Amino acid sequence: MNVRRITAVATKEWKETVRDRLFLLMSFLLPVVWMVVFGYGLVLDVEHVPFAVLDRDQSSLSRDYVYRFIESRYFDYQGSVSDERDIDRLLGDTAIRMAIVVPERFEEQLLEGRPVTIQTLLDGTFPLHADTLKGYVIAVNRAFTQERITEFLTRTRGLVPEEARRLAEPVSLETRYLYNQEVRSTWSMVPALIMFALMVASPLLTALGVVREKETGSIYNIYSATVSKAEFLIGKLVPYFTISTINVVVLWVIAVWLFGVPFKGSFTAFFLASLLFILCSTGIGLVISLLVRTQMAALIITIIIAMVPTILFSGLLVPVSSLSPGAQVQAHLFPAMYYTDVVRGSFLKGLDLKAMWTDLLALAVFAVALRLVAYSLFTKRPKA
Amino acid sequence: MNRNDGTSLEAVRLWTLRLFVMTRKELLQLGRDAPLLLFLLYSFSLSVYVSGAGIAMQLNNASLVVHDGDHSESSRELIHRFHEPYFRFDGEVRDPKEGMARLDQGTAMVLLDIPPRFHEAIGSREPVSVQLQVDTTNAPQGLSAATYAARIVGRFSSDLTLSRLGAASDGTMLMPVVDSAHRVWFNQDQDETWFQSISHIMRMITLFAFLLPAAALVREKEHGTVEQLLVSPITPLQIMLSKVLAMTLVILAATALAMVTVLKPVFGVPIKGSVALFFLMTALYSFTTAGLGLFAATVARNQAQVGMMALLVISPMLLLSGIATPFEAMPSWVQTLMALSPLRYFVDVTYGILLKGVGLELLWDSMLAMALLGGTMFGLGMWRFRRQFR
Repeated sequence: MNVRRITAVATKEWKETVRDRLFLLMSFLLPVVWMVVFGYGLVLDVEHVPFAVLDRDQSSLSRDYVYRFIESRYFDYQGSVSDERDIDRLLGDTAIRMAIVVPERFEEQLLEGRPVTIQTLLDGTFPLHADTLKGYVIAVNRAFTQERITEFLTRTRGLVPEEARRLAEPVSLETRYLYNQEVRSTWSMVPALIMFALMVASPLLTALGVVREKETGSIYNIYSATVSKAEFLIGKLVPYFTISTINVVVLWVIAVWLFGVPFKGSFTAFFLASLLFILCSTGIGLVISLLVRTQMAALIITIIIAMVPTILFSGLLVPVSSLSPGAQVQAHLFPAMYYTDVVRGSFLKGLDLKAMWTDLLALAVFAVALRLVAYSLFTKRPKA
Repeated sequence: MNRNDGTSLEAVRLWTLRLFVMTRKELLQLGRDAPLLLFLLYSFSLSVYVSGAGIAMQLNNASLVVHDGDHSESSRELIHRFHEPYFRFDGEVRDPKEGMARLDQGTAMVLLDIPPRFHEAIGSREPVSVQLQVDTTNAPQGLSAATYAARIVGRFSSDLTLSRLGAASDGTMLMPVVDSAHRVWFNQDQDETWFQSISHIMRMITLFAFLLPAAALVREKEHGTVEQLLVSPITPLQIMLSKVLAMTLVILAATALAMVTVLKPVFGVPIKGSVALFFLMTALYSFTTAGLGLFAATVARNQAQVGMMALLVISPMLLLSGIATPFEAMPSWVQTLMALSPLRYFVDVTYGILLKGVGLELLWDSMLAMALLGGTMFGLGMWRFRRQFR
């Protein structure tokens, strides 16, 4: 190990990066653009669901019932239809995601104290979405039912409304949402986006840095130089590591200042984990770059490897606990999951180093293992 | 006249031949990149299987811990109603604090807290409430858990009402209850493997359709081979078109592979609409996305730059076009912006043909939008490409 030689490689790499203005601009701009666009734009809340109504009763009570949906922020009324065939067409064209069919004699039955069944037709293309919609409909029905029962008991049994209401709802549920009181998907999303930005951009920077030399042949200068394998690999990393570290701080500032996500944990723990994670993500890029020959392959493989598991298996959209056992194994084999835990833990839960040491340890193990793999794959004596 | 016809026919033949030769060159070049080819195969087979089988976004065995301050018949009855597949009972805690600690560590998602005197309150007809603490670091899942819990407690409560009134009245149990019968269309059992595997294929098509031709064009620029092509009788149109053609063929083959090896046999996705139409639309979508990629390639000078531009363009497309979340839930500015994303239309087309079984009569507008976008991008790319090499 010779610090001078490492500095030489790093300087060369740094100059190469800085001279490519577009590339340099993108490497700072991309994470910020992602953060802002996805932070504001990637909304996971099921709201404004377009729906249509087929009211076969046309009574004041049925209109009152339908109105509950119209005024709710979860639904977006698209008008009423008079024929069930119209519903087929609207669902098929994705103009609506749900249709409510109120049966005939809706009002009459309810006033007589008889149960009524509403039909809801749901678009099942997005299963989670359909499931959430069912929940909303059931909640509307329950509130409506309680009012009807209260009214019915007051009218037929002569109870005072207060008593009737107590009878209509003997046990209630008080729900508290922890860590994210308003259940804003922005709050769960923005911290995880720091992970996304680091995971997707840094491997690409690193991978192309190495493969470019392989493809243009300038790597033969390295092969014939006195610089050792380890020195070369470390020197190569310095510029990309520096860029990513700056990005961590910038992203943290955006999350806290622009999005107002509370940062409750320890910054030291968060920063330490971020550095380890950058070592992991650049390490992935390094390993890929040593396995392929062309920049085209490096580009495509890195982007897909970085992007797909990051979207699916890192906890960004789906919590790891609800993956199938096979997919959970895959999630654990990928460093992004541990870092997502740390980021969300530091931001929303206010956890400190003690509570998250296992995640940090895992990241450290990945960082070291990826380096070792890269070291053993890299050879200064290429075949043929 | 006749001779004239002959020469123009000859010109067409030559033009097509050149295009064909260039396309073949692209395919050969791709075929020799073994790591890339292997990765392509993996992306459209095993990877589709893993994401289809592995991801369940619906609430599934949410880990539940209970603090039962009452230990009575009623509290046990209520706890008993929290069951699989929505909740998984993960033990009882002696103290709500202990439960909170488990939520902090992330080893439990929901804490149900039943107060002391729960049974007594129910017996004496006092209103009583139970507490629920939900981890909402992942907002949609947390909300879903809360909704299911509310459903369960609501049912428990209304059962009590009915039994009381039943006991109190003359035996008629009729009450003005509004219930709903749900019918889920296009995917009755809400089978998530269909949704996840189809959306994964769309993800892969997008990535490859953008990256393959873009990288192929920039490579030629970087190596300088594009100058050689331009001094040859081949026109810039043929250069660009051949790359799109070759990569579209590859993508269609890969999509077919995914359908034949995973979608149909493993997940049993009912391909309700016309397969031919689906492939036609996939070809159109590949062409459109390739146009986007080629445009980026004319802006970039090397592959690193094109990679960064791909990330800039593709990641919003993948996350905001409505693959993983329904499009209408996005804020309106995103919807406006994403009108430019061809994937936004391809999502409707794919789900429409594969799951809903609709045809061109409903999908023509999406098709038109893709064709317009693709034509525009391809034209812009052409224009820049020509200008660069004048």
